[in-house]
Amino acid sequence: MNDVQTAKAMEEEMLSDLLWLSPYGALVLAAIGAVVLALALPRHRQGLVGAYVAGAHLSAAALAAGVWLDRGFRSTMSGTVVVDGLALAIVGILGVSGAVTVALARPTVAGTDREGEFYAVLAAASFAAAVLSSAGDIALIALSLGLLSLSSFILAGYLRGSLRGNEAALKYYIYGTVAGAAMVYGLSFWFGLAGSTELGAIGRALPDAPVGMVVVSTVLVVVGLGYKASLVPFHFWTPDVYEGAPLPVTAYLSVLPKVAGLVALARVLPQALPDGSLGWPTAIAIVAAVTMTLGNLAALWQSNVVRLLAYSSIAQAGYLLMGVAAMDGSEAGLPALVYYLAAYAATNLAAFAVVLAVQRESGSADVAAFAGLGRRHPWWTAALVLSFLSLLGLPPLAGFVGKLEVFLAAIDAGQAWLAVVAVLNTVVSLFYYLRVIAPAVLSPAAEDTGQPRAATAALATALAVATVATVALGVVAEPLLDLANGARLMGAR
Amino acid sequence: MPWLTLAVSVPLLAAALVAVLPARMTAAPRAVALGASVLALACMAVTWARFDAGRGMQLVEEATWIPSLDISWRLAVDGMSLALCALTVVLFVLAVIHGVGPKPMTRAAAALLLLLEGATLAFFLAQDFFLFYVAFDVTLVAMYFLIALWGEENRRYAALKFFLYTLVGSLPVLLGIIALFLAAEPNTFNMMRLAEQEPLAGAGVGASFVFLAFFVGFAIKTPVVPFHTWLPAAHVEAPTAGSVLLAGVLLKMGTYGLVRVNLQMLPDAFAEYALPVALLGVVSALYGALVALAQTDLKRLIAYTSINHMGYVIVGVAAAAAGGISAEARELAIDGAVLQMVAHGVVTAALFFLAGFIQTRARTRDLGLLNGLIRPMPVYGTLVAVAFFASLGLPGLAQFPAELQIFLGVFDVWPAVAAVTVIGIVITAGLFLLALQRAFLGETSEQWRGLTDVRGRELAAVVPLIVLTVALGVFPRLVLDVINSGSWL
Repeated sequence: MNDVQTAKAMEEEMLSDLLWLSPYGALVLAAIGAVVLALALPRHRQGLVGAYVAGAHLSAAALAAGVWLDRGFRSTMSGTVVVDGLALAIVGILGVSGAVTVALARPTVAGTDREGEFYAVLAAASFAAAVLSSAGDIALIALSLGLLSLSSFILAGYLRGSLRGNEAALKYYIYGTVAGAAMVYGLSFWFGLAGSTELGAIGRALPDAPVGMVVVSTVLVVVGLGYKASLVPFHFWTPDVYEGAPLPVTAYLSVLPKVAGLVALARVLPQALPDGSLGWPTAIAIVAAVTMTLGNLAALWQSNVVRLLAYSSIAQAGYLLMGVAAMDGSEAGLPALVYYLAAYAATNLAAFAVVLAVQRESGSADVAAFAGLGRRHPWWTAALVLSFLSLLGLPPLAGFVGKLEVFLAAIDAGQAWLAVVAVLNTVVSLFYYLRVIAPAVLSPAAEDTGQPRAATAALATALAVATVATVALGVVAEPLLDLANGARLMGAR
Repeated sequence: MPWLTLAVSVPLLAAALVAVLPARMTAAPRAVALGASVLALACMAVTWARFDAGRGMQLVEEATWIPSLDISWRLAVDGMSLALCALTVVLFVLAVIHGVGPKPMTRAAAALLLLLEGATLAFFLAQDFFLFYVAFDVTLVAMYFLIALWGEENRRYAALKFFLYTLVGSLPVLLGIIALFLAAEPNTFNMMRLAEQEPLAGAGVGASFVFLAFFVGFAIKTPVVPFHTWLPAAHVEAPTAGSVLLAGVLLKMGTYGLVRVNLQMLPDAFAEYALPVALLGVVSALYGALVALAQTDLKRLIAYTSINHMGYVIVGVAAAAAGGISAEARELAIDGAVLQMVAHGVVTAALFFLAGFIQTRARTRDLGLLNGLIRPMPVYGTLVAVAFFASLGLPGLAQFPAELQIFLGVFDVWPAVAAVTVIGIVITAGLFLLALQRAFLGETSEQWRGLTDVRGRELAAVVPLIVLTVALGVFPRLVLDVINSGSWL
């Protein structure tokens, strides 16, 4: 083969790689295009940037579906980016969630001085989360985690005039930097032991490495990813950041880093430590049990619905982690994780959409602000009841099928005790979910305090989409379950 | 025609329709609810006509739902399902006639009643564990809101307690379902195949855990002492139609599950625990009767007699599960237990309606304050007397043949247990006669002389139940021939 032919083959290879990477490309274009558009458009037209970013998110999801159906899975960029079922499913979830978040955020950021840039940063965060979920290489994990943290800090502190927002961003920044640094330190051990940054090579090297070093480094890696997923004991930032950040950002933060962190754990652990070596499945199961228990117990005492949802999201992270813990022992573990992530994303966005609508109207997100909501806004209340019952895990909603899947995986993997712990936790969670539902449905309407501000079309659409998804993913669970079952991990055994 | 699917989906679709009706159509919710519940009744009547009592599980309607997990929309009837569905559709028509909450019936009330009806029917008809569990939990949510929205003073507390207990019961059931799913080869939620396969047959500790998970869930729903403490609160605080449906239909879900799952799918484990379960049933029967004896609140009294009557059902089912029982006695016990579920449903529903009527008139249900009611309210007094006698097990009325069959069946395995259980009947006889004497006979105080007798809608709600009470007592064959447990157990 002469040089020209080699060059030509390489060029074709790269071109086909581009097609494989198109879902990620759509998110990059979302971020870059948003910056350019934001500069070009006048202030009162910045909403168009939002529409563009939302559209790009949806195209990323569509491209992910297209790549999956058209080409299947492969690793690309010399094995750095793994475009497998897991990655594509997650890009799909992130794409739709991102578009819904843009719609949620529009009323809050409309008319602020950097509206266009807000959407750009949001797109950058989505891109980082997508890459983190697809990384087959520890250098890329470190890089994407950094980008995700950076863009999340900016989003959390977007309302610069708000003291609480600043506090939230700073807190997130400090915690995030420390946890991220710990992870990079741990990854450096892995690199040292394996002589490669590729996860497959690390998985081959770690079994022969000194046990102590492997344990310490793995714990450090779990710290970094666990912080993103707000697993106990790395969850302390969650309630304060959720409360301080602008609510639409909180909604996104409750989905995006959690999805990315859990998926990265699901990718890293089975590959770096094949065959459940060092008992990581049990260790992760214990973290899951502690996370759901502490999250639920802390949520009981919250009177602010945003903080309540923050602790609820910690508890949900515990349930989600059951899927990761079961991965080694059961084929059902990974599909359970993917299904539950989608169900959780839909449900939590619906819940936050209602809280946002209520907060915009009454100026408060305390439980008291929800009293009598049923009389004033029956449709919001329906969304609230459905999303909270889905978080509780009642059928036929998405959250139920998610729980069914993770329970099934846990029992199949021989971790029935974890399923029992999760059941007990579900009972505890009833109390705080009902603490919001009950006054909303049962109490007489409270006196109008604030100026009623109607939900904008964007917010109403986001609310409707997320709520319909919450119900539909449960009642018509087959397509997503089928997808989740196809979300195999490439590279692992 | 898929009559079973129609029976389930008509109320559910009607619930959705009611929810989106414009608010100004004030008469529509009640009309839709009545129409839908009558249609469901008609569907079950057709099913009753098509049913062949000798053939066991039949009239299967099946559609793939979630193939990844082998979940289907799978409905079918056997004698037990059909008898309980018939009870369900009748009680819902009457509950709609009586109404819940403010008049005219609101959209929310109509939608919740219809949602509850659809879910209850789906539960009794489901032959797929996924659907079974979904229906179980949807009834929980619908009933929670019925109690919490239109109950009496302490409704929120009672509703929360109801939700909590039932959720605590339903989650072990979910774990048990998953365990059966994983144990079956190939994995399946198909209840008919699970009953056939008995995947955990003879499998020691694992089977025991699964048995206990299901048992605790169903025992809370039934309720069996010591899991009963939610019941008095919920029954007393619920609105009248809510109490009627709760005691008349929802309690039966517990005993239905015990037969359908524990007895049919885990017979070996049940045989091992038959005696302890029977003893819990005896304790429930006696405890319920004794505590009822001490009540002066009529609703509370009826609530505790429910614990007593459901205790008999538990004893009967446990006897059928015991290893040493003869085939005839086993059939007697289960036929009796299912007939008792139906009879208790009819009689208790009548009693709760009647308790509600006196509440709306006298603003009290305290038997110590009421007296001589038979004079101002002769019709009411007569209806109450019939219902009381039926509930204490008088021959010729609904519960007598059922309880007799249960005792005969139990006597075959554990004569001593049967003998002790009969004491429960003696106590309930005493307490009902005492209540009748206190509140209805004797001098009528000044304040009660002006009470008006029952009429109109009230009669329409309760008279059919009294007629059924007598009919079941005189011709128990009507239902027993359909139940015919020999064909499906």
